[in-house]
Amino acid sequence: MSRIRKDYEQSFAHRFLVFVKGDKPLPEEDHLEEWKTRIAEVKETEQTADANYIELKEPDPYEEARHYAQSSGVRVFRRVYYVLAFLMCLMIIGMLIMNVAYMPLFGSEDSPTNNEVAERYLEKGSEETGVVNTVTGMILQYRAFDTFGETNVLFVAACSVMILLFLRTEPENAGPKKPRRRRKKASGTMTGHEFSLLYGTSEDNLSKQETDGAPSCVWPQSVAQEELEPEPDVILQNVARVVVPMIFLFGLYILLNGHLSPGGGFSGGAVIGAGLILYNAAFGFRATRRFFDEKIYDIIKVGSLCLYALIIAYYLFTGANGIDSAVPLGKLGNILSSGLILPINLLVGLEVACTMYAFYALFRRGTF
Amino acid sequence: MTISAASGYLFGGVIIVLVLIMFACLLRAIRGPEIADRIVAVNMLGTLTIMIICILSLWQKESYLLDVALIYAMISFLAVVVLTRVYLGVHREHMRDQAHPACAEDGTQSGETDVPAADPLSAFSAQDSENASADGKGGVQ
Amino acid sequence: MEWVRFIIGSLCILCGLVIALIAAFGLFRFRYAMNRMHAAAMTDTLGILMVLLGLIVLRGFCFDSLKLGLIILFFWFASPVSSHLLAGMEVEISDRLKDNCEIEETERKGGRT
Repeated sequence: MSRIRKDYEQSFAHRFLVFVKGDKPLPEEDHLEEWKTRIAEVKETEQTADANYIELKEPDPYEEARHYAQSSGVRVFRRVYYVLAFLMCLMIIGMLIMNVAYMPLFGSEDSPTNNEVAERYLEKGSEETGVVNTVTGMILQYRAFDTFGETNVLFVAACSVMILLFLRTEPENAGPKKPRRRRKKASGTMTGHEFSLLYGTSEDNLSKQETDGAPSCVWPQSVAQEELEPEPDVILQNVARVVVPMIFLFGLYILLNGHLSPGGGFSGGAVIGAGLILYNAAFGFRATRRFFDEKIYDIIKVGSLCLYALIIAYYLFTGANGIDSAVPLGKLGNILSSGLILPINLLVGLEVACTMYAFYALFRRGTF
Repeated sequence: MTISAASGYLFGGVIIVLVLIMFACLLRAIRGPEIADRIVAVNMLGTLTIMIICILSLWQKESYLLDVALIYAMISFLAVVVLTRVYLGVHREHMRDQAHPACAEDGTQSGETDVPAADPLSAFSAQDSENASADGKGGVQ
Repeated sequence: MEWVRFIIGSLCILCGLVIALIAAFGLFRFRYAMNRMHAAAMTDTLGILMVLLGLIVLRGFCFDSLKLGLIILFFWFASPVSSHLLAGMEVEISDRLKDNCEIEETERKGGRT
């Protein structure tokens, strides 16, 4: 049992530890008092400098010039941006119109849309993919790659909402309205001002949005954010106890019957997300966070997308969009049939449910 | 006159009347002076839509439309719940901001002074106090 | 026998239709949101019960009628709750409440109005 020596601070081990940690070397013991007074002095001068700064804030001669430079730069940038965007839109419109000119007439017999593809979907769809509902067979087997893109769009949408909302609620990015913070945030994260420059919102707009949005750090301490939430309602809770499991069961029914009846991943996931939102509205965010917090959200969302990507990779590997896959199709009309369409439906449903709940939670509260 | 023809007439007439009632509800939803009026009218619109979907599913003998009706019922209930909850929160924030406008203004200022300053001096002073406490312990032992 | 079933079912549906008509009339006849809520809630419970009951009678007993019954059950769960929530919201936010209702002065939770 080792004890700490009295002169531990002077020992080699401690110095080595400090060196490894990258701390500042400690002052000598004799000069401790001196250091303390110096620190107090510096603090005092800092405070007076702060006070002076507040007084100086009004007649600061550079403030106006700085502001002018920034705003004129913004003006030039926006003009160039508008012109370029307009030209680009014109170019794209011209290209599309030229393409339209080469299209066949609507309803003509030799149009490519009236070819053997639609016929084949209808005639051989159930035989090749093993689904009763031909639409599901089309979107999840023949055109599985397109549906993968749609799922990616959902993922990216939720991610961008999270990026934008989290950027605004961070206290580091509280905007340029307050001159006192200019000294402290010199470390150069993306400030609210740069954000407003990029996205064209004026400063006043941004700061107003900040006070209107829901970051808890901006509220006055007299009224907390939790106090503003509607208090939990007993009647709603008792009904939600009955109804929410029903909604979840029904969503699972739609998910699992996606290849047998209309429905499938997108609608079933929307129903499950609706159940989550109802649970949240009845029991509050704290109860929901017990089983669905940000970590579980990340796991489900990324995991389902990656599994889906694996299945798509398998489809690409076998070619022909998985029609020749090794997974048996099963008997037509059974729940466990039609190969990989059932897991794809489940994965898409999870993705959609997560996205719906994330949109609700993020726009309502800013976090999960 | 067979039963199917008679039920066709019945269903068609009922759906037409229901659509007329829906237009009346839409008028109330547009005109409603308060938000509660609008929510009531929209809720009743949803109910009438579910009636129409159920009648259609029997008329056309498509049983999957009943699934659609069930989902519609869930979503319309959810819409009312979420609307009332969210609107209550928004209204409370609004009232709070009206009651203490100065407080809301100061809140940004006071909230930001709580951010710890990132200059090296304060970090050093914290280390200093830590060192002092370590000294005290060493003295005891 | 078939005709008897058809007549019973159509009578039920017409009854539901009349209830919906009365509710739509009440939406315009009443002057205040709470009263209008009462009129509209009639469609949500009795109206949809009569219409779907008529449909069940017309359809006979099968899986579809089970789903119709599920819709009725769901509505009877959900509609009173939504009316309750709406009324709670109206009590908290309304300025005209005292003109239209008698209020017992009780301690309201969160009464920041």
